[in-house]
Amino acid sequence: MASAIPAWAQEVRDAATRNLASLPALTGEEEAWRFTPPADLALTGAEPAAPGSAGTVTVEDGVRAARLRLADGVPSAPELLDLPEGVIVAELGAALEAHESLVREKLYGLIGFAERPEAMNAAHWDGGLFVYVPRGVRATLPVEAILTASGASGRIFGRTLIVVEEGASATVIDRYASPEVSGPVQASTVVELYVGQGAELEHISVIDWGAGVRHHAMLRGRVERDAKLRSVVVTLGGDVVRVEPTVVCAGPGSDARALGLYFAGGDQHFEHRVIARHEAPQSYSNLLYKGAIQDHAHTVFFGNLIVPPGAPGTDAYQTNRNLVLNDGARADTIPFLEIETAEVKCSHAGAVGRVDDEHLFYLQSRGVPTPEAKRLIVMGFLQEVLEMVSLEELRTELEAAVQEKLS
Amino acid sequence: MADPILQISGLEVAVDDTPILKGVDLTVPQGEVHALMGPNGSGKSTLAYALAGHPRYEITAGSVIFDGQDIVEMEADERARLGLFLAMQYPVEVPGVSVMNFLRTSINAIRGEDISPRDFIKLFDSKSELLGFDRSFADRYLNTGFSGGEKKRHEILQMAMIEPKFAVLDETDSGLDVDALKVVSEGVNTMRGPGLGVLIITHYTRILRYIKPDVVHVMFEGRIARTGGPELADYLEEHGYVEFGAAEEAAAPAG
Repeated sequence: MASAIPAWAQEVRDAATRNLASLPALTGEEEAWRFTPPADLALTGAEPAAPGSAGTVTVEDGVRAARLRLADGVPSAPELLDLPEGVIVAELGAALEAHESLVREKLYGLIGFAERPEAMNAAHWDGGLFVYVPRGVRATLPVEAILTASGASGRIFGRTLIVVEEGASATVIDRYASPEVSGPVQASTVVELYVGQGAELEHISVIDWGAGVRHHAMLRGRVERDAKLRSVVVTLGGDVVRVEPTVVCAGPGSDARALGLYFAGGDQHFEHRVIARHEAPQSYSNLLYKGAIQDHAHTVFFGNLIVPPGAPGTDAYQTNRNLVLNDGARADTIPFLEIETAEVKCSHAGAVGRVDDEHLFYLQSRGVPTPEAKRLIVMGFLQEVLEMVSLEELRTELEAAVQEKLS
Repeated sequence: MADPILQISGLEVAVDDTPILKGVDLTVPQGEVHALMGPNGSGKSTLAYALAGHPRYEITAGSVIFDGQDIVEMEADERARLGLFLAMQYPVEVPGVSVMNFLRTSINAIRGEDISPRDFIKLFDSKSELLGFDRSFADRYLNTGFSGGEKKRHEILQMAMIEPKFAVLDETDSGLDVDALKVVSEGVNTMRGPGLGVLIITHYTRILRYIKPDVVHVMFEGRIARTGGPELADYLEEHGYVEFGAAEEAAAPAG
């Protein structure tokens, strides 16, 4: 964190710190924490010791409007490459002062500090990304923030705030990556997405930590009238990763999609808790998460469509499908609905299946060896989600990651 | 007579511990087209899957010498790379896998080296043209939503691209109307030559009007019951499989 925090921001930190002290520690008995013990995310214990392993992560370089790096919790100024007029990309800590009026109004608005994990992030965040796209501006090139860990710091707290004003559009990538670290690193991240009236935002989270990293990722997007949000979460790396994306259809005609891909192997444990909440009539949401699981890995999907009273005409879908590649790997899927409005169209489906032997045989009968055939089948399985992601390079990257995991 | 491309001796195959093939002897010299006929349940498709190496079809006795090598212990993909091709009766739909990606992966595996994207497209286009197929397969997912006829045409296109030494066509005629059957048969006829042996598995004689076999075998209850020339097919069309003990008389052409 930069040395001088504005007073208002310090007050929030202090309040969050007080909350953290007064809130009871998570025990794992809580309903929402049944599947991923909070201790596994190091959300209960003391500050972990800094293990001090070194290494840097290299990332594919796509063409970007701006790029920001947060290494081991040390913020640095963003690299501004090709920003349209009026668009702000800044390090969030610096933006507290530099863009106070914009930041102060929105920061903590979607994810505050009333609950313990949120309070922990609010009290401690090291730095992060601030993106502001003014009214009517279309930022075509993606903005990318990379949060990395070398193991030099035991805890990393990142935070992203994105505000896309009326009729504007943007694509933002939050990437979380590291090499294998020798000791445990705990990461906590918060992403707040404001999508103004008629605006469009595509937000992509790529979670690709090396072994030794545990990550609790919270994301919330608020979608105003006739606006579109596409949240994509790609979870590949990390020992224990829990991702909580919530999309809120706040205005009539809003369209929110929460898309996810995951591939867990080894002893990895991933939990995705994905929620769509409809607070306005005539809105659309679609939750689509697909995952492959191998070795002794375990994944959990919990999905919920929440339609409180007063949201007639809601059109909402929720699908989670899992491909289990071997005995010993496990996937749980819990699709949920809370519908309190009549005249809505909602569906939910969850499935766990295996690689179809007939698919495998068909590919093998054309000369394709088993590992390659499995790769094709897994990629084909994930294709349904991939083809909804506009960023082509993500596909190439994912393909390589799947290939590496399968080999 | 050319050297045999396929030599099956005393082959016994079980499916889920139930014996289906009970000692099959069958030899196909390279370059010849053989038809394997027989009533439903006689074991024809079992032979096809056992040859291709489907793990559910367990070879319990006998040998299969393909191009001079015993392939009984080989995995399906190894057999394919040796030059064995099975055109399936029911090609499966593999969701999300594009035809082009699948074909390129297959060609690379068969050839043991990566084909350049340009050469691959050229190969795809030239074989499609040779067979008189349009390029509509290119932009689709593997067999997904294909009609019955499209699936069979796609199998033949794969065969043309892979250029196997030996192809088993498992009931390729089933479910095809006359026009589709002609197209598929012409495709096979264009590929016919000294470097390709073919085993056409069929219940009916219809496809044999378009692809003339050199030899016809009749399978009954898991064994080859009779072998003859093309005239055997005509005989079966007239007399059916009754004399072999079958209750049905269904060798007549459908439709």
